[in-house]
Parts: sequence; C-alpha cells; structure tokens
Amino acid sequence: MLFRQIVFYALLVGILSGAVLTIVQTFQVIPIILAAEQYEGAAAEAEETMIPALHAHGHHATEEDGWAPTDGMQRTAFTAIANMLTAIGFALILMAVMITTRGTSWGRNLKFGWKQGLLWGATGYAVFWLAPAIGLPPEIPLQAAAPLEHRQIWWLFAVLCTAGGLTGLALAPSPWRWMAPALLVVPHIIGAPHPAGAMFPDQTPDVSASLEQLAQQFIGAAAIANVALWLALGLTSAWAVQRMITSMKQAGLSDTDTKPGYSA
Amino acid sequence: MKEQTTTLNQESLQTTWSLPKTVQIIGVILLGSVILYGTGFVNIAAVHNATHDARHSQGFPCH
Repeated sequence: MLFRQIVFYALLVGILSGAVLTIVQTFQVIPIILAAEQYEGAAAEAEETMIPALHAHGHHATEEDGWAPTDGMQRTAFTAIANMLTAIGFALILMAVMITTRGTSWGRNLKFGWKQGLLWGATGYAVFWLAPAIGLPPEIPLQAAAPLEHRQIWWLFAVLCTAGGLTGLALAPSPWRWMAPALLVVPHIIGAPHPAGAMFPDQTPDVSASLEQLAQQFIGAAAIANVALWLALGLTSAWAVQRMITSMKQAGLSDTDTKPGYSA
Repeated sequence: MKEQTTTLNQESLQTTWSLPKTVQIIGVILLGSVILYGTGFVNIAAVHNATHDARHSQGFPCH
C-alpha cells in the first residue's frame, strides 16, 4: 500500500536528514544560540529577578515555565529528535508531492535520480525555509518579535503561497501561469509582522551591538544548516521515490493512475 | 467446489482492497502536517523547550 510505503521511507529519510542537520548545527547554529543565552543569563542576574529554579535551564525563564531539557547531552538529544521529527514531516509531504507529479504530463516518465533530488531539495528549501525567512529571519533568543500567533500565521501563509506559486509556474496552463509569480510575492507585499522599536529592548547599547552581530551570524548559519537538511532530504527522497515506483511497476501496478487499486 | 473458490476470491479481494491513491496521498500530507505542527507550532512550555533549538534554526516562529 502506497501510504505505508511512503511512511516507511519517510521515517528512513527523515532520521537520516535530521541527523545530518544536527551534525551541521552542532558546529555553527548551536554555539550562537548558547552565546546569546549567556547575555540572557547575565541580564537576568543583573536585574536580580531570576528565580533560582528557572535559572537552571537558563533561557526564557520569564516566559516559559515547566520542564526543559538540561543543558548538555539531554538538550542536544532533544534537538536531534526534534530535527528528525521535523525532517520526517517534511519528507512525508515532499514524497507525497513527488509521487503526485507522476500523474501530471510533466512528471509522467520522470526518473528520480540525483538531479531530481537536487531540484526537489531546492524546491523544499525555497518553500519551507527561504520564503518564510525573507519575512521572518531566524532569530536568536532575546530578540524582540511580534506576537507568536501572528508570526505563525504569516509563516504558514508564506509557505502555502510559495508552494502554490511554484506549482503554478511548473504546471498551470498558460492563462493562469502569469498569476503564479504574483502568488509568490503576495506574502512579502503584505509583510511579516514585526514589532516597533529596538531589536533588543532592555539591553545596554554595548550588549545590543554584540547581540545584533550574533543575530546576523545566526541567519547565515541557519541558512547553511538548512541547505544541508534539504540537500539530504531531496537526494534521499528521490532515491526512495524511485524505489517505490520500481516496486509498484514490478507488482504490475500503474504508479500514475489515481483509481482504486489492489495493494502490492 | 466452484462455490468455495468464489468465496475465497471474494475474501482475498476484501483483504487486499486499498483506498484510492488520492486518498492515501492526502493521508500522507495530513500526517506530515500534524508532525510539523507538533514540532514547529505547538505552544506548550515543555514541547517548546524540548524543540527550542530546532525551531530557532529551522526558522519556525519561536516564543
């Protein structure tokens, strides 16, 4: 059954790609987050408002209570698990879309080799990372931001518009195709929610300057880490999809129709 | 004898019948979306804290 096959391969692809992301992050993304949290701890100590129990995990003590992984191995382990789960989610959607293109004139006889892998990896990167990051660049702790719900809605809106726009560019018949680039820019014309005022409120000018530098570095580091993630996702998904197509063909099933069928 | 074979065939038809591909594909996309909602969007303190670093680096809006 197609569903079961995709889920199986998505687990494989997601765990692998999440591991790649975790390894890359450990060297460049995570050190920047930890450096920013140093300032967080220092600022809180200076104000002497820190509750000792919350100080143990250092970050967002004023906003988020409750359980948090302890720094070190535990925190790294949870980051790795979160990375893998996210990658599994991306892989499920990516492979479902890749297989769906088999039903279109564009993808009917396509072979999923490394070139297709690169193409789909780039598409995933554009949709799930680049488009939202243009409006809402990845942030370090302490950075001022608009209300979470507003940013989440805009993130989703940017992802959906970009996915729709790229689909339109690739597949839509000519009268509609000109609409596609419009869809790509709509979220950016509307604009992502941003707060008025300083990037790092409640910080001294010196600390603010250092944090702004860290924030700049963080965007670059995250951009590179996510290239690694989507490179891994694209290449391994293409491999998995090609395997699924081959096995469906061997079982004598058409992999392009959408009618009810018998499972292999 | 002939009747028995027919019954058997019907049984095997039922057990191997699968949902239309479109439904399966939609199912896969929904499953992926639920997982992404859990890792990237859920605003529960413990979930947020566990996924914090992953959310920051993958560009999901965070706290």
